Amino acid sequence: MIELLRRADPARPAIVADGATTTYGELVDRAEAVAAGLVERGITRFAVLDSDAATVAALLAGSSLAGAEACQYPPTDDTVEIGGLAARFEHGVVVTTRDDPPIQALSPPQLFTATGPRIDSPPAARPLLVLTTGTTGTPRGVRHDWNRVLRAARRIVPAPDERWLLAYGLHQFAGLQIIAHVAAAGATLVAPALRRPREGLAAIRAHGVTHASATPTYWRFLLAELRADGGAAPELVQITLGGEAVPAPLLGELRRSFPTARISQVYAASEFGSSGSVRDGRNGLSLDVLDRPDDADVAMNVVDGELWVRSRIGMLGYYGEPATDPDAWRPTGDLVEIVDDRIMFRGRTSDVINVGGVKVHPLPIEERIGAVGGVDMARVYGRPNAMTGAIVAVEIVPAAGADTERIRDDVRAACADLVPAARPRSIRFVESVAMAGNKIVRRHTT
Amino acid sequence: MGESQRLDETLRSFLTRVGKNAEFDLSTPLYADGLGLDSLETAELSAVLEDEFGNDPFSADTMPQTVGDLSAFYAAAVAEG
Repeated sequence: MIELLRRADPARPAIVADGATTTYGELVDRAEAVAAGLVERGITRFAVLDSDAATVAALLAGSSLAGAEACQYPPTDDTVEIGGLAARFEHGVVVTTRDDPPIQALSPPQLFTATGPRIDSPPAARPLLVLTTGTTGTPRGVRHDWNRVLRAARRIVPAPDERWLLAYGLHQFAGLQIIAHVAAAGATLVAPALRRPREGLAAIRAHGVTHASATPTYWRFLLAELRADGGAAPELVQITLGGEAVPAPLLGELRRSFPTARISQVYAASEFGSSGSVRDGRNGLSLDVLDRPDDADVAMNVVDGELWVRSRIGMLGYYGEPATDPDAWRPTGDLVEIVDDRIMFRGRTSDVINVGGVKVHPLPIEERIGAVGGVDMARVYGRPNAMTGAIVAVEIVPAAGADTERIRDDVRAACADLVPAARPRSIRFVESVAMAGNKIVRRHTT
Repeated sequence: MGESQRLDETLRSFLTRVGKNAEFDLSTPLYADGLGLDSLETAELSAVLEDEFGNDPFSADTMPQTVGDLSAFYAAAVAEG
């Protein structure tokens, strides 16, 4: 990481956040001080609890230079949760500005002002721990090495005029990918204080963002914000979607709203890294990803309708579990279907709803409902039911001023030709849908 | 509005929407020759009733067979407070 930061022009802005700009030179100075401070204190593993992108970037780069394992916790004010994470992942030190952490704390400035001997080059092993979002239970720690994480970033061509929006948390693997990409390009990261679509749209406008990468759910909300405020759509150069299957109508809506933007999709996960991007603007992956050579960073295969990968840039293993074999094939949990020359995503194996023995995939239903007029967002999930085990249920965020009774009728009409088990049997209108890390949660929530 | 009337209106609205005969009395069976609900329609009705009343007679120990069973379930729930 430090190598990428050092490669950029030190005077150029690296991160614009909360009204403050941090240059590449300042970031390198802080990262080198962090590395010296970690070595001086004998810290080899630590947690980070801070939402400021420039602070986190310096801590991550410093930790990679020192060969210490950093782990960014998800944002929380709950000291019990922080204590639980620290116990689970055996962290003895947390770097934070909070004054009530349940374990030993260092403030970022204590590390930024360290005066110990500077480290020129990083050690061979540069560990990193990334927590999963825990949508299906407690978070797991995914062990990575910066050498692998940054392998693709080293091939990125410098593009210092690009201004990237940070729409992910830096505790998420996707957030780390964005910051690595920006550093490799010597570009600028625009990081709003809150990673929500409303603040994202404001930051895009205020800071002339040219490139933005986010989940489909984030983009749908951003489009809803755009419709609601009636302002002009920013002239984005590139839009990237990842982290979830992309509903087909969303691609069309993005094309119409951002006619100057190139649209690409990234297929990546904390466990196997990034498989690269699809830049042709069409939904799904190109079928030729199944023909990658044996020495490819990420190879793919389809087994019984599920995508499997073999990754040599992926995780080393889960924390507390045996190391993974980089030559082993692993199921991704993503259900796919080959349609002509594309691999289309149909949802997650864990999202499948069992309605009286009939397996129903929520995503195609969600796509139909999302295309109904007056629907800003829809979440299809399995609602427990005494008669059939589960029924297909939908929560809908209506557009401002929309007639909900009409939406209800239109949703039923839009799903009338589905098999009976797949038709929504419960329709509720809500102000927001259950989310985890800017992705829709499709399991049942109460 | 009493629980009985609320149930009557909720049931009538549901039956009309799913295209069933909305004429019934307490002795009308829910299935087959009565209202003719199939398993998915019954599942949907249970969700509708849970949304309206906060609990669902189809989750109780005894499976309701008639409109009167639904009415009795909610009457008992009111009596239990």
